[in-house]
Amino acid sequence: MEIRAKILEAYGAYLREHGAPPATVFKFCRELEIGEREFFQHFASFDAVESEMWRGLVDRVAQAVESGPEWSGFSARQRLLAFLFAFCEESLGWRSLLLARVGKGPPVVWPGHLRGLETGFGKFFVPVLEHGRDRGEIAGRGPIGQVYPAAFALHFRAVVDFHLRDTSPGYERTDAFIEKSTTLAFDLIGRQALDSAFDFLKFLFPRPH
Amino acid sequence: MDVQDSIQSTPASRMVSLAGTGAKVGLNYLKHYGRRMVSGGGNERLHEENAADIFKTFSELKGGPLKLAQMLSMDQNLLPPAYARQFSRAQHSAPPLSYPLVVRTFRREFGRDPLQVFDTFSQDAVHGASIGQVHRATKDGRDFAVKVQYPGVAESLRSDLWLVKPFALQVLGLRESDVADYFREVETKLLEETDYRQELRRAQEISLACADIPGVSFAEYFPEFSSGKVLTMEWAEGVTLDGFADGPTRQEERDRVGQALWDFYHRQVHEMRLFHADPHPGNFVVANGDVRVLDFGCTKMITEDFYRKQFRFLAPELMEQPGALTEALEALNVLLPEDAPEDRERVLVSCRQWLELLARPFRGAVFDFGQEGFLQEIYDLGEESRKDNLLRTLRGRRGSPDTIYVNRTFFGLYSLLCRLRAQVTIRLPDWVSRG
Repeated sequence: MEIRAKILEAYGAYLREHGAPPATVFKFCRELEIGEREFFQHFASFDAVESEMWRGLVDRVAQAVESGPEWSGFSARQRLLAFLFAFCEESLGWRSLLLARVGKGPPVVWPGHLRGLETGFGKFFVPVLEHGRDRGEIAGRGPIGQVYPAAFALHFRAVVDFHLRDTSPGYERTDAFIEKSTTLAFDLIGRQALDSAFDFLKFLFPRPH
Repeated sequence: MDVQDSIQSTPASRMVSLAGTGAKVGLNYLKHYGRRMVSGGGNERLHEENAADIFKTFSELKGGPLKLAQMLSMDQNLLPPAYARQFSRAQHSAPPLSYPLVVRTFRREFGRDPLQVFDTFSQDAVHGASIGQVHRATKDGRDFAVKVQYPGVAESLRSDLWLVKPFALQVLGLRESDVADYFREVETKLLEETDYRQELRRAQEISLACADIPGVSFAEYFPEFSSGKVLTMEWAEGVTLDGFADGPTRQEERDRVGQALWDFYHRQVHEMRLFHADPHPGNFVVANGDVRVLDFGCTKMITEDFYRKQFRFLAPELMEQPGALTEALEALNVLLPEDAPEDRERVLVSCRQWLELLARPFRGAVFDFGQEGFLQEIYDLGEESRKDNLLRTLRGRRGSPDTIYVNRTFFGLYSLLCRLRAQVTIRLPDWVSRG
């Protein structure tokens, strides 16, 4: 475990310094004064290390918001919002690295070395979704409901991407983006919107007698 | 209070929403013509229905359009009464924003959470303001009202106005050139409202200068809990001014509040040349017989030069000497040198009517705003000028944009006083001699 933490820390420092992974695991290990074998016992690749590092960031943010005094009274929507705002704030400390590592690709899939952001988010979001279902805030609509985690992971990806591209003072536009898009998302999965849509479809396509 | 679940996000989706209203307004016209073919009814009901649809859209859009709706509702001259009635509903509440965003704003502005700054802090907004919302907080046994602004509101105000302008022009039957200055001035003022630091400064300046006026009281402001996006003031209990005016209030109380308002505006306009330019009922509460001003977001400062040009119409002798009146209107650019004589005559007649009406309260020692028909006369004259095609084509770029907020303030003040049915002792500026 100690070596694991040591690898994570050293790799993070290296990435921030150079903006790209070391040339080989061997070189990295020599500087860290550990054996290559030890490295591979803990991580399958550099991407795995980096992914783990980002997951750690998401975990820390999630823990911080979950231990906030108001957390238990929050609705699912508020919980997600609290997380996203906190993540953007926290990620400012990693902004240059994120910028270097996210790249300019389409904001749909995470590259392998950033997968940890997604898994970390998934771990945070599943209980939030449960909470929303319990409160009746989110409609349980059978198979459609199963795509929610993936859809919200995509939303998280979009938020990170927006934040990285944002040039407004104090990243104000990111705040507005988070607020508005989350509201919209919860509208879409809320009971009322789907009910009315269903009702409307029934009206448009009446059953033959 | 319902948390708004569908804030319009991008300019595109706002556009769609506005287009939806346009379609509905069109539908209302069709219904109207259908109805008229059957019954031959008037325009009033049509205006009523259109106004309701437009209001609904504006209030869903928040921000700029809501402010614009409020603005237009104040200027009876530009708007049929039916629209004004619907729009004035916009003056009370807009839907609230999420608590995590409030926390976020606090962290950014103060580096601390609301609960680290205050002992208690309401998660839900107690009421909405058009560009932010108000939370209630306590600290060390004191009650505070904390106004939190929506992030990026200045930018969205600009795009909203840009979106809403052609639409508003079309629906209200106005021409771009008639209202270009109007929109520019409105935009400037709206953007000013997003600067809570300025609001704090103006509020403190005006409350200090008006503290001795009997019947008016001011909330204390707290710069240490305020920033560009958060404004903290003392919590004000009380009845809203419209509740007070429409309720079973005794005449002495009405007169006292009415007098306080009159004196308050007198001091600001005629002595400070800086005034609260947003006198709608939602901005005042009455507690213990005193009227309290809640919102200094919209204030207007005028120059000495403009003041002299604008307010010389208060002098009764001006109306009696045609030459002097013409000269005064020329100075304000209401009459233009290139006007054809008959146009000039038409504008002059219209201005005379307006001046006679608007300066009427200033003509005696006491004016009873409870009298039947004063406000109606203003509405009617507005309706008449608006329908007058010649006058409308002549309107153009006449007058100074500064006039907009002066007019708005006095229309607002008059409608407040009429609603109060107050009898007011008229104070005149020193330089006016009573005729």
